[in-house]
Amino acid sequence: MTVTRMLTLWCPDWPVVAWGVPLDEPSVVVVANRVVATSPAARGKGISVGQRRRDAQGRCPEVAVLERDTDREARNFEPLASALEAITPRVELGGAGLVSFPTRGPSRFFGGDQKIAARSRDAVAGLLGDRGLVRVGVADGSFAAGLAARSASAVVSNTGASSIDQAVPFVVPPGESREFLAPLPIQTLGRDKLVDVLGRLGLRTLGDFAALSGGDVVGRFGREGQLAHRLACGMDEYAPDLRTPAKDLSATWLFEPVADRIDRCAFAAKALADELHGRLSANGLACIRVAIEAETENGEHHLRLWRHEGALSAAALAERARWQLDGWLQASSSKGKPTSGVARLSLIPDEVVPDSGRQLGFWGGRAQRADQLTRAVARLQDLLGPESVTVPERRGSRAVADQISFVPAAAVDLGAPRLATEAEWVQEPWPGQLPLPAPTKVLNDPVVVDLRDATNKEIGVSGRGELSSEPAIVCLDLVANVGKQIRNRVVAWAGPWPTEERWWDEGTHRRRARLQLELDDGSAHVVVIEHGQWWLEATY
Amino acid sequence: MAQRGTVQKSVASVRPRLDAESLAKIRPTTLSLDRIVEVPDPLRPLFPAGGVQRGWNVGLDGHGSWGVGMSLLANGLGDEGWVAIVGLPTFSLVAAASYGLRLDRVIMVDEPGPGRLATVLATLLEAVDMVVLSPYYRVGTRDARRLVGRAREQETVLFHLDGGTSWPTTLNMTLVATTLKWEGLGQGHGHLRKRLIRVEASGRGAGAQNRSVDIWLPDHTGPLRAYKQSPIGALSAPSAICDGVRHVPSMDRAW
Repeated sequence: MTVTRMLTLWCPDWPVVAWGVPLDEPSVVVVANRVVATSPAARGKGISVGQRRRDAQGRCPEVAVLERDTDREARNFEPLASALEAITPRVELGGAGLVSFPTRGPSRFFGGDQKIAARSRDAVAGLLGDRGLVRVGVADGSFAAGLAARSASAVVSNTGASSIDQAVPFVVPPGESREFLAPLPIQTLGRDKLVDVLGRLGLRTLGDFAALSGGDVVGRFGREGQLAHRLACGMDEYAPDLRTPAKDLSATWLFEPVADRIDRCAFAAKALADELHGRLSANGLACIRVAIEAETENGEHHLRLWRHEGALSAAALAERARWQLDGWLQASSSKGKPTSGVARLSLIPDEVVPDSGRQLGFWGGRAQRADQLTRAVARLQDLLGPESVTVPERRGSRAVADQISFVPAAAVDLGAPRLATEAEWVQEPWPGQLPLPAPTKVLNDPVVVDLRDATNKEIGVSGRGELSSEPAIVCLDLVANVGKQIRNRVVAWAGPWPTEERWWDEGTHRRRARLQLELDDGSAHVVVIEHGQWWLEATY
Repeated sequence: MAQRGTVQKSVASVRPRLDAESLAKIRPTTLSLDRIVEVPDPLRPLFPAGGVQRGWNVGLDGHGSWGVGMSLLANGLGDEGWVAIVGLPTFSLVAAASYGLRLDRVIMVDEPGPGRLATVLATLLEAVDMVVLSPYYRVGTRDARRLVGRAREQETVLFHLDGGTSWPTTLNMTLVATTLKWEGLGQGHGHLRKRLIRVEASGRGAGAQNRSVDIWLPDHTGPLRAYKQSPIGALSAPSAICDGVRHVPSMDRAW
């Protein structure tokens, strides 16, 4: 059984570290108001990943809240990867703050796994200083190496070693990966649905799962089960494929003149990624590791390997190319900043697997529709501007107009489920909302309305929330009927319902009272009075 | 000759006999008549084919037609579909969601811009199942004809709000919704709960015959209902409007 022996170097809390925040200050990184990474100090205050931002702020009011910035993460990681490149040429970047390389050659050169681990840890820790922690693990297979790196921190806390800064590298002896993995909880596999089923079957540790026969696992759980089982047994997720990918799969872009700006490179990367993806899918392959290589006019090379747990999509490929080049082109001149712009950019599929893919429905499945839609949205944005196409998200509010907010369609993944569109997203009650049914037409720019009583006197609302007299006649200036006033009799009405919102804040204070009106032409409206002026707010 | 006749007969006898249901299942072609968008049950009598045919142009007119349109969208979207709402920033998605429309299936193009509507529509028709179109933007007759052809080809339904009067080609069907009565609102008390509307359908081809149904547009109890059923909860559930805003801090100032 051949498993590549791997070294994994992990910078814990990289999203926080990348922001350059001292670790002893509480800070969190959020995406869509959910905490995705915390500093150790914030964890000490009871903040954990997955919490809502306001919960985190509730536990620790002084916590610094940072938006996730993947570009910055990749750019700041670039110097660390370069430092490791001085040790070995085959450096693979994983997720945030994760990098690994095969140790066979370098550990023989430097005199053993312990030495190479300590050396790479020191190289990176020297660059990071006291800004962040470094954990190193060595084991057979990248999965076990990643877990070994995570265990390295446990070693420190167990022994109580005083070196708070950096933990001792955790080296799993060759051939013992399976034993190392056996006591670890099954959740480390990271496939939520599968792990859930396994847990309910009584398989609590990786060892329990690995003890099952491979054939049974495939029979019961199919391909996904097989991959997970291989991991639990301490093997690589994919059996090493002895077929080297054909050379012609790689895609190359020559810049003429050279590109010294990142947006030109990113544009080329997108086109290359599409081209590469097309070639791969024509061959029924998917790429799980790709080499992105850039070369300048003066012959400087920059090569990085990128790995992804699933298959790399075209968009993901383009994004990684942009990260890599961004880091390289913006490096300081002492750290190997290229002397000229990029002249050639290549995407080379390094490790390919058969694409098991997803069977599309006869009329096109969800993924295909989302793809088509994403393309259509991109075209519309070219035509009308980036903010022109929006998708709705729910917000809590009293006014009907504010219960939906619109975000640019480019900012969301149209193929993935979006939580903010579900009815459960807004959990807080909003007393004072209009009761259902909701009006079907909500005017963003309210229209002036003239509301009068039977004696043609104007109607107001007193400070006690009472109408001066009963409404009888209403004049609407509708947008659709410009210049034409519609004068209608009021058949029935209710209200006024006063709301005084944000009275503590001068700028956003709104003091309004609403009326529902039913008119003799069968239409029904919501009118609102503010500063003595009636406006048409919504129509049923 | 006699021999040939027996051979034919024996072939016919060994040919598998399928019942009508299985035949319908294995029939290789799908007729355009079968490709319809589901509509809510109470509205079904309006559609001779049982639903809106894909590729149709449907106009909606009258007070309450927006609600009818929303329920058509919500019902026809299915699990995979998408809907685009063009040039209608006033289209209330809160109401649409209360009719059952999934908001993660909606994209909005609020301002298609002057003279660009045809391009925008052509792009959208390829990607979404239904398009709701504002009457405030116009397309030329030639563009409109081409777009109608594209919609038929892509099996996308176009809904024209406010009757489609600004659309230059003939619509397949027009639904006119008139409010017959509102319930729940009194002289200074109550709140709007539901309305009885009459939906009349007219059109050409398969939708030529004029038909009409009376339905309740939804209240807080759920989707729209046929008029025949007795209205549930008409008098229950007192208004929760004034909760929490009773104490108004500055009573001396008019609103």
